[in-house]
Amino acid sequence: MPTTTAELAELIARVARGDRSAFKAVYAATSSKLFGIAVRILGRKEVAEEVLQEVYVKVWERAGEFDPARASPITWMATITRNRALDEVRRRAPVSIEDTPEALEIADTGEDALAQLARNEDGRRLLECIGKLEPQRREVVLLAYYQGMSREALGQRFGRPVATIKTWLHRSLAQLRQCLGE
Amino acid sequence: MSDVDDINGLAGEFVLGTLEAAERVAVAARRRREPALDAAILAWERRLAPLAETVPPVEPPAGLYERIEVALESTAARALGAPSADIIDLERRVRRWRWTAAAASLAAALALVVIGVREASRPEAVQSFVGVFNKDDVSPAFMLTVDLQSKVLTIRTVGAPQQPGKSYQLWIKTTPQTPPRSLGVIASASYTVGPELAVYRTDEVRGATFGVSEEPLGGSPTGQPTGPVLHAQLVPARP
Repeated sequence: MPTTTAELAELIARVARGDRSAFKAVYAATSSKLFGIAVRILGRKEVAEEVLQEVYVKVWERAGEFDPARASPITWMATITRNRALDEVRRRAPVSIEDTPEALEIADTGEDALAQLARNEDGRRLLECIGKLEPQRREVVLLAYYQGMSREALGQRFGRPVATIKTWLHRSLAQLRQCLGE
Repeated sequence: MSDVDDINGLAGEFVLGTLEAAERVAVAARRRREPALDAAILAWERRLAPLAETVPPVEPPAGLYERIEVALESTAARALGAPSADIIDLERRVRRWRWTAAAASLAAALALVVIGVREASRPEAVQSFVGVFNKDDVSPAFMLTVDLQSKVLTIRTVGAPQQPGKSYQLWIKTTPQTPPRSLGVIASASYTVGPELAVYRTDEVRGATFGVSEEPLGGSPTGQPTGPVLHAQLVPARP
């Protein structure tokens, strides 16, 4: 992304004042990232397009609520995107065979992606802590985060009862939190 | 397990995305009145944020930005005191309906002007709503007014040309799963629907999507919309 965090925060501040050209710049700087997140969770590009449209309308409407002290601009926007995508994917009936994405390549749980985490300090710490989870539990956490899989879907995938998945998730989360020192 | 663990586990699952739809809604509501839960959610968003940055970017389709701008205009209209037309939701439904209908019929081009009306959640919400069906970006083709209390709907032909051998047909769609149902062929310049609408509950009418399609004279031969696409836009109803 060519735009730096500080530049993006400044653009969002301008969006909050109703600056449409700043909004367009925010879109240019962030839309492929946010679309990537939405597509990964929703699995279908046309649905991800709808969600992305709603996300940017929200960004426009809520730019004034953005607080750079609480989150980076991209984290703020990614959170809006993930929440909308997760709400949408949960609301929809289970995806049928015909619904599976045509030309959409959904990457795996992303051990490759994890390597990228090492690029900054927060990422390095998170990577280290995720790396300490048992492999299967690590996979559960990553599939949930990246692909928006529900407990039920994870249960099917790992051949475990939903209650077991819930236990795994809660233990993994507690372990992560402890490892991150909070 | 202590309450703190509970809150952290729940917040973590909310952010990971593993909760079911109803749980997500419940947590979203709870966080508004429980600062501890809200703080726990924010903390998880921050902790896991580096993962989001690793997701490979995917270029959105050209034209999406323009669609967003159109949605912003509608939102601006709503902010000017619209009773509540939920335009974003509406536009989503427009497209969803198009897909469903396209999937349901083999007709290549689908054929609807769609409009949704929805009451504001405020109790004093206005009971009447207006929708405009635009045949192009500027000229209105039909005006729709709905009085929720009496469940009477009136659609007036404004700029839609009367075409020989063609009829305009009005449709209602109450849920994403149900196919559109005809509310009749718009036979006059001001066409009123009463009994056909009375079978629906008020909340169904309020949340419904309405559509107008161009059909062969006398109406759709298939019982489902078949004609060409027009664009729809909502305008605020003035109380």
